Amino acid sequence: MSERIPFRKDTFAETPEGLVLLANRCRSCGQVFFPKAVFCLSCLGEDMEEVKLSQRGKLYSYTVGHMPSMHFQPPYAIGYVDLPEGVKVFAPLQLSENAPLEVGMEMEVFLDKLWDQEEQEVVGYRFRPAR
Amino acid sequence: MREVAVIGVGQSVFGKLPEKSVVELGREAVVAALKDAGIGPKQIQVAYATQAGMTAQRILKEVGIAFIEMVNVENACAGGSTAFRGVWKEIADGRYDIGIAVGVQQMTRSPIAGRLIPPGADDLEGQLGLTMPGIFAILARRQMAQYGSTVEDFAMVSVKNHHHGCLNPYAQYRKEFTVEDILNSRMICEPITLLQCCPNTDGAAAAILCSMDIARRYTTQPIRVLGSALLSGDYRYLHDDVTTSALGSETARRAYEMAGVGPENIDVVELHDAFANEEMLRYEELGLCPPGEGTRLVREKATWVGGRIPVNPSGGLLALGHPLSASGVRNVGEIVLHLRGQAGERQTPGAKVGLAHMLGGSVEGLEAGACSVHILAR
Repeated sequence: MSERIPFRKDTFAETPEGLVLLANRCRSCGQVFFPKAVFCLSCLGEDMEEVKLSQRGKLYSYTVGHMPSMHFQPPYAIGYVDLPEGVKVFAPLQLSENAPLEVGMEMEVFLDKLWDQEEQEVVGYRFRPAR
Repeated sequence: MREVAVIGVGQSVFGKLPEKSVVELGREAVVAALKDAGIGPKQIQVAYATQAGMTAQRILKEVGIAFIEMVNVENACAGGSTAFRGVWKEIADGRYDIGIAVGVQQMTRSPIAGRLIPPGADDLEGQLGLTMPGIFAILARRQMAQYGSTVEDFAMVSVKNHHHGCLNPYAQYRKEFTVEDILNSRMICEPITLLQCCPNTDGAAAAILCSMDIARRYTTQPIRVLGSALLSGDYRYLHDDVTTSALGSETARRAYEMAGVGPENIDVVELHDAFANEEMLRYEELGLCPPGEGTRLVREKATWVGGRIPVNPSGGLLALGHPLSASGVRNVGEIVLHLRGQAGERQTPGAKVGLAHMLGGSVEGLEAGACSVHILAR
């Protein structure tokens, strides 16, 4: 099996409950950032704590692309998911005829292969309609 | 601050012109603008051009302009309006009396010709599949969910701008399309089809500005720059609703405030319509209609040539074409023609005040790269 590497370090973790997105929160004003901010961009506080984001959220909007993008061949779905922490996450979405996408539907995050890079399998987060 | 006037505008032919270089396109636009202003190259004291690579020097040396202050700016699709504003500031501040802004882009010779603009290595969303049409397609779905806009509404914007293109001899596409033609063209990013996207275009545009006190030496029709604003996008996390543009609204507010006019005074508008659905959101942020009513404006046909407030009479980016950083100079030029009464078949009758808007670039975490609004008057 080829080696698996994360598409971007420090954006997600694998836990027994599945993939979780890693954000950080300002201890002074409570603002949450995903991806993590070096310091709070709202109050400029430097005391930041890591938070694991909820695995479920609502589909804010989406599209299905029919032209190749950097790493994805068409058709591929992308969109924004609103998480309860007040964060809008952009992510690739699972495209399936059995579960068509719809604005406002409940989504869940999962670990998935995103693309191949030489001998390595690049993995990351993807959302799908919640089961 | 001194009052500044536009005394000359010009553009090259727009289209897919792989045989023409940046210098050739730029030279065509500069020569046209000099001729329009009726001044010689030696009278130009300062120049701003778009893109990296000594663009201003390479173009202007071809027409007898050298040994003056030249600045090259990059601000994605707002590059042209950034160059225009640069010259405006130099003259308004009293450093120089006459200057030229040049916007130019050679798309078909570029490595991205016919493809999507590739994301940077540190652009997390771009790496995960977000593209320019993707951004606007995601926006389109929200317009449909939030305001009841339909794909037919989006297509109608493209029908309008292509109709306008037929009235403009400089337009890349001079062909009428129906809503069905637009919707049946190739799917790019659902629900956006090919004919709802601006094309790849090669082209250049130039504008000559001078202080108002000397403008009358050169022309009986100086067009005053009443307002100029340029702003970068705010953090996206601060603004939850993607269908209302804090960037566009604030840029417009600043330009209106400086100009001392309101949206109700605007007679003609050129705006960034890289994608058809985008245009109706711009109506709202520029104050042409109340928030959420952009769709109504389309259905009322208010923004057609001959309508209450014509928008993109040039054909816009959709039909006239979009040589990225040239468009911000070109669309100021279109407003100038209407204010002078020289816009031919697409003329806005009796236009006194016009507005040119541009939007540039996608930056992860920000609403957009840059937005500009210029308000001009006769």
